[in-house]
Amino acid sequence: MEWRLFANLAEATGSKRVDVEAGAGDTLGDAFEQLLCEHPDLEAIVLDDEGDLEDHIRLLHDERDPFTAGEGFDTVLGTGDELALFPPVSGGRR
Amino acid sequence: MYTVSVLGSDAEPTVSRLVEAAEGRVGTVRLETAADGGRTRAREATGYVVDDSWHASGEGLSVRDAIDRLAPDHEYAFVLGAPEARLPVVVAGETDAAVGDPIVSVDGVGDLDADAALGAIDGTDPYETLESLVAAVKRSDKATYSGAIATFTGRVRAKEDEADERTRYLEFEKYDGVAERRMDEIESELEARDGILDVRMHHRTGRIPDGEDIVFVVVLAGHRGEAFRTVEDGIDRLKAEVPLFKKEVTDEETFWVHERD
Repeated sequence: MEWRLFANLAEATGSKRVDVEAGAGDTLGDAFEQLLCEHPDLEAIVLDDEGDLEDHIRLLHDERDPFTAGEGFDTVLGTGDELALFPPVSGGRR
Repeated sequence: MYTVSVLGSDAEPTVSRLVEAAEGRVGTVRLETAADGGRTRAREATGYVVDDSWHASGEGLSVRDAIDRLAPDHEYAFVLGAPEARLPVVVAGETDAAVGDPIVSVDGVGDLDADAALGAIDGTDPYETLESLVAAVKRSDKATYSGAIATFTGRVRAKEDEADERTRYLEFEKYDGVAERRMDEIESELEARDGILDVRMHHRTGRIPDGEDIVFVVVLAGHRGEAFRTVEDGIDRLKAEVPLFKKEVTDEETFWVHERD
């Protein structure tokens, strides 16, 4: 399974795409743990003090938010699914 | 409008082949440096000679200005002689220019598959301007019912106030595919509102210098009230929901904007 990383997350890992072992039948949580295991630098950016995903960090599974549209970290992955992790979008003051 | 810079010793014949193969209106822009380097007579700023066809001459037009003028009513623009233009590149033949990552590269025009090249050109981000998006909504099937167009343009602000460090450029990265689909969804949802006839949004990516435009929202509506409301909701939703990331480079430093806001 492949993670796509953007902005400062890609800079922290030095790569925009990271392969992890998790595959079809594994959970999103497995793939996420493997990503952090491979790139421990990400932890300080994407996890809060409790070890939960920071509120402002967004995670997409096949373009959808698995925490509202799926089973969160228990979501089961399929073949060729795309995972993405990114900071808040560009924003700007109103 | 799809816009590419064509470079290399076979640029001219390559552009001829592409013009022939392309569907829709095609424009070309050539950057030429006059050999004598000087003007021989006083001239007007802009001169048009109009008949069934027309030609023009004038002063003070940049390559970018020329492309901007083509954008409202052309499908393609091919730019010659301008390796510095921040555009996708087609290379044909030998070139001295530093070419990053051309979308098409052939040793000579003889090796060019024009249809395949146009396919690659159609896969690039279209070149849009405020005027090109306004022209597009005016061509809409529903334009008959429209009494208002409202627009928003976001640009690169050099300074917040006098004491602020100058921003040199912003660099935008997007989640390819997902960003476009999310924008399409927002457009469709806004178009479903009563009185809203057509909505177009466009966000440029890559490096954008201070003073240049970044993002446009154009709303074609029956009346001004819903046009104003929708253009505001459109830019707010684009900023909140579309995966685009902004890096700022000032005179002193470089940072991701979300880390400062």
